[in-house]
Amino acid sequence: MRRTAVYTSEMTLSEQKIIRKAAKGDRLAFRELVLENSHAMFRLAWRLTSDEGAAEDVVQEAFIKAWRNLRKFRMESSFKSWLHRITVNTAMDYLRKQARRKQFETAEPEFESITAGSETPAIDTQIDIRARTRAAMMKLSDTERSALLLKHFEGHSIKEIAQIMEMTTGACKQTIFRAVKKMRVELRPLVTT
Amino acid sequence: MRKITDDDLTLLFYGEHDDPALATTVAESRELSERFDSLSAELRLADNFVPPHREDDYGADVWRRISPRLGDDRAETSGRLKSWLATFSQPRFSLAGALSISLVAMLAFMLGRNGGPESIGTSMAPVNQNAIALAGIDSSRLLTHSVSGHLEQVDLMLTQFVNSTETSSRDSGFATDMLVANRLYRQAAASQGNHKLAAFLADLEPLLIELAYQAQSGSPATRERMQLEVRDGMLFRVRVMNKRLDKPQISV
Repeated sequence: MRRTAVYTSEMTLSEQKIIRKAAKGDRLAFRELVLENSHAMFRLAWRLTSDEGAAEDVVQEAFIKAWRNLRKFRMESSFKSWLHRITVNTAMDYLRKQARRKQFETAEPEFESITAGSETPAIDTQIDIRARTRAAMMKLSDTERSALLLKHFEGHSIKEIAQIMEMTTGACKQTIFRAVKKMRVELRPLVTT
Repeated sequence: MRKITDDDLTLLFYGEHDDPALATTVAESRELSERFDSLSAELRLADNFVPPHREDDYGADVWRRISPRLGDDRAETSGRLKSWLATFSQPRFSLAGALSISLVAMLAFMLGRNGGPESIGTSMAPVNQNAIALAGIDSSRLLTHSVSGHLEQVDLMLTQFVNSTETSSRDSGFATDMLVANRLYRQAAASQGNHKLAAFLADLEPLLIELAYQAQSGSPATRERMQLEVRDGMLFRVRVMNKRLDKPQISV
């Protein structure tokens, strides 16, 4: 069974103290939170957008939103889950804007061109596997990808993912199942070779 | 016994299945084991979805970018007022410091009122225009000269900060003085329409705020990170900006 970092509602006293100070407007305390969480947020944002520049923008926007809304944060939930929620929402906004923009563009996205005509893919390198995995991920809907990423890479429980994505636990489960089925179809040829 | 679906196996893979006996059931069945192994192998390939590497100081970089955008809103207002009152009531805010700040304030006020678009039509403008004209001083040159002196002080302070191992309240007091002066110069530059200089001084401000207050509350780890940030970023920018500023000789 897969075991990744699991976020619980438990926070260290020192983390709670920093969050409380930041919530009162202490910039230095907020800076600590930024330094502590930037890498993880970038990883999540990149996996959501598959674009380096966009991921950096999403991280910055997400932190600014966090700063403005920190007073609303309740200590009973995990701070990382709360940050992830903001990051996912910010990334979703970005992806929606991108989708609208792409309606007027003719160029195919990079991840689609990789998989075009690849029913029996020849896998020569690790780079190729990465590219195809990325393509498979980006073929998922934004909601499916978000749910799967929060499960697979971030180790959130289904209940937490449901809260982050503001859906019921049942709907969240079904979203993950759908995402897993689609991913397996795309990734199966890579396993057999 | 009900049929074990791929969804059950997915939940098992992610450690989320409600039935604690499912793992044993799967292990005891060859068919289920093969299905589970196949699902595991396929899902493990998702681990190849690897983000690009970010350097250790990425967090500091994010902070540098967002801190000017955080603004001074929120609960800071009352806290800042208290902090300002505390600053002025502390002994470390010496008479000399207060006098120099007063001079900076007066100078910045005159510069701000003189030459900027906002000054047109104000009752104070002609007086200060005359005062500066009488002194034979070009207000724009006077501003850049003054800011240049200010940046030299900031450069000195930052150099000391990156090379020292601990912060004293004296350093903090010096940073507070620099912060006060910086704000006044920023306002003066903005009033004169020198937006580039005003923007640079605005960028400098969050760092001065941190230097002014980190002495009391910062951990050694915070201090180390700030030193790295200053060394790799703002110190260089201060020196470049200072070089760019014209330094005319002012005749008195």
